[in-house]
Amino acid sequence: MRALGTLKRVFDWKVRGVRWVEIIGLMLVGAMIFSVYLAKAAAASESARIARLERQITENGQRVRLLRAEAARLEQPGRLEALSRMAGLGPVDVRRQASEASLPELAPIPEPSPAVIVAPTPPAAPPAAQTPAAPAAEVAQ
Amino acid sequence: MSVHDDPHAWQRPAPGRSGGGVSLPSWRWLSEAMWRIEHSFGRARADARPEEDTRVRIFVILSLFSAVFVCLALGAANAALLAPKGGVGSIGHPNAVSRADVVDRNGALLATNIVHYGLYIDPAEVWDRGAAAERIKRVLPRVSMAKLNRVLSGDRRLIVMPGLTPGERAAVHALALGGVSFEPEDRRVYPLGASATHVLGVTDTGGQGITGAELAFNQEIRDAGARGESFPLSIDLRVQGVLENELARAVAETQAKGAVGIIADVQTGEILGMASWPTTDRLNRATSAHYEMGSVFKTFTVAAGLDTGRADMNTLFDASQAFMIGNRRITDFHATNQVLTLEEVYLHSSNIGTSRLAVEMGPATMRDYFRRFGLLDAAPIELHESARPRRPTKWDDSTLASLSFGYGIMITPLQMSAAMGALTNGGRFIPLTLRKGGRPDAQVRQVVSPQTSLTLLDLLRRNVVRGSGGRAEAPGLRVGGKTGSANKLVNGRYDPTHAVGTFAAVFPADGPVNARRYSILILIDEPGTYPRTGGFVAAPAVGRIADRIAPFLGVERRADQYRTALGERIPAFEDVEGDGR
Repeated sequence: MRALGTLKRVFDWKVRGVRWVEIIGLMLVGAMIFSVYLAKAAAASESARIARLERQITENGQRVRLLRAEAARLEQPGRLEALSRMAGLGPVDVRRQASEASLPELAPIPEPSPAVIVAPTPPAAPPAAQTPAAPAAEVAQ
Repeated sequence: MSVHDDPHAWQRPAPGRSGGGVSLPSWRWLSEAMWRIEHSFGRARADARPEEDTRVRIFVILSLFSAVFVCLALGAANAALLAPKGGVGSIGHPNAVSRADVVDRNGALLATNIVHYGLYIDPAEVWDRGAAAERIKRVLPRVSMAKLNRVLSGDRRLIVMPGLTPGERAAVHALALGGVSFEPEDRRVYPLGASATHVLGVTDTGGQGITGAELAFNQEIRDAGARGESFPLSIDLRVQGVLENELARAVAETQAKGAVGIIADVQTGEILGMASWPTTDRLNRATSAHYEMGSVFKTFTVAAGLDTGRADMNTLFDASQAFMIGNRRITDFHATNQVLTLEEVYLHSSNIGTSRLAVEMGPATMRDYFRRFGLLDAAPIELHESARPRRPTKWDDSTLASLSFGYGIMITPLQMSAAMGALTNGGRFIPLTLRKGGRPDAQVRQVVSPQTSLTLLDLLRRNVVRGSGGRAEAPGLRVGGKTGSANKLVNGRYDPTHAVGTFAAVFPADGPVNARRYSILILIDEPGTYPRTGGFVAAPAVGRIADRIAPFLGVERRADQYRTALGERIPAFEDVEGDGR
């Protein structure tokens, strides 16, 4: 009962003859209208952007289709073969084909030659003997 | 104005009586509730508490408005949060087109829709009409000058030319002429030009398929387009390209009038390549042209003989003299004049031997096997062009003899390809298809036993190794096949200058019946060079095609019992006839 009385007092609290409750309500309504306006304006600009992007996607899609068609025309087997034949190319002879597994037979992996530690040549040695030794040492490493 | 009503201002009906003729229970309940409220106002005033009356009215109105607003809020929240997907704003797919792109089995583009432009001119906005016409003609040579002048001298905006490509549009646009405008229009484009043209077919300007796959899969292509997807065919563009190039080469070498090539997967019935030459001819010879194919049919006769148990490889046939049926005398192209085993009959391509076998089997058996091989009905494929064969009207001994070596019946190359597939995949007749992955509702029927199929595979291989098909050999690919050579009926008689050379091949011919295997059929129509037999005009193309498409299909080169992987002979066999017939 007492709580009801407090509530009534709050409800009846007036400023210059206007109830606080009504002022607060009006402010809330104002805030709501403003926020709805903001949301609507944002949505409108977003949908305009979406429409622009969709138009762009469509245009790009058409361009992609055009380029794909152009690529297909340029890459068609008949044209490629004609160009290859003009360039002197042809089907590879069976004797010149090899699978990955047969590579070691065709070109055996060279046995790693033992690393040779080249002794520092005495400065008196002739330069002609020194020159071939240097690449050999590089290969060994 | 007061909200207090005078209790006597209107005639107040008693509670419980509905007014206005509305007698529904809900309406009665509502009116009762309203009158109860009104009565409470009256009672409040009677109790000298008029402020209560006002408050109750305000409360009621407030409640009503609140209820309405709550309903609106709930409705708005429901619409905003729980709107179904694909509602407003997402109707259709963003990439939707009226017809889907047609692609090959690996996604290479075969047909697509490109926006083209119609060229419109409003002559009222053109300054110098003569100069405008001249400049447009210069950048757009295919425009009709008469039409251009007619529009320019007219008095309203008219179309000059439909179907400008984007490049042409840009060229005309760059002239910066007044009064020139463009209207977009959707057009079907085949970027490969004449390549695969018979498989793809064409559409009309309204976007409906007229021929080929465009007609056969019309609705599915449209549906795929609405979903923004592409529609794959079973064709492999690389295989198709090789087929077309080699076919053109074979035609050039043999100076032929026409040619057909079909490559199919015998286990699934998928067509990997289909070409008909000349490509400028609208007739698809692979599906719609009829040919008497000659000795290729001996394969089916021998298969029937083996499958019925009437013969085995060692059964002897007397080919020492001509086979007489009534007054008709059947001879061999190259008479051996000896008794031959069934294998020799096949490898020598003996007409006498197969005729004897066919007559022995009788019309019922021959007809049954021909029907099972699909030689008596149109080849089952999605293409509407697939034509019915020209079948014999009577099945007497003479006809049987003709049928046994491929005369007296005219079939389409597609039927031959399907029948060869059935013979080499374990004896199952699988309808050919242009659908990637094979036909979902394929009705497979057993034609011959798997054992017969294996025997025939070996026989086909032997025919390439030591028979008439030697020129079809591709190193390490175990090609097997049968040649066919027939003369065409010209003015009522068979004319040897109008011949048809065929080679029906399969590779690899070894391995189990369910191994991956591909059939190649090459038919050369009226070759101009001599000899005109299939072994000379068609077999070399088959060998070259197999050699080139094997890497695409993943067929490895291997040795078999006749040849090494590099194609060298293991025992020294010779072409038994050397005539390639």
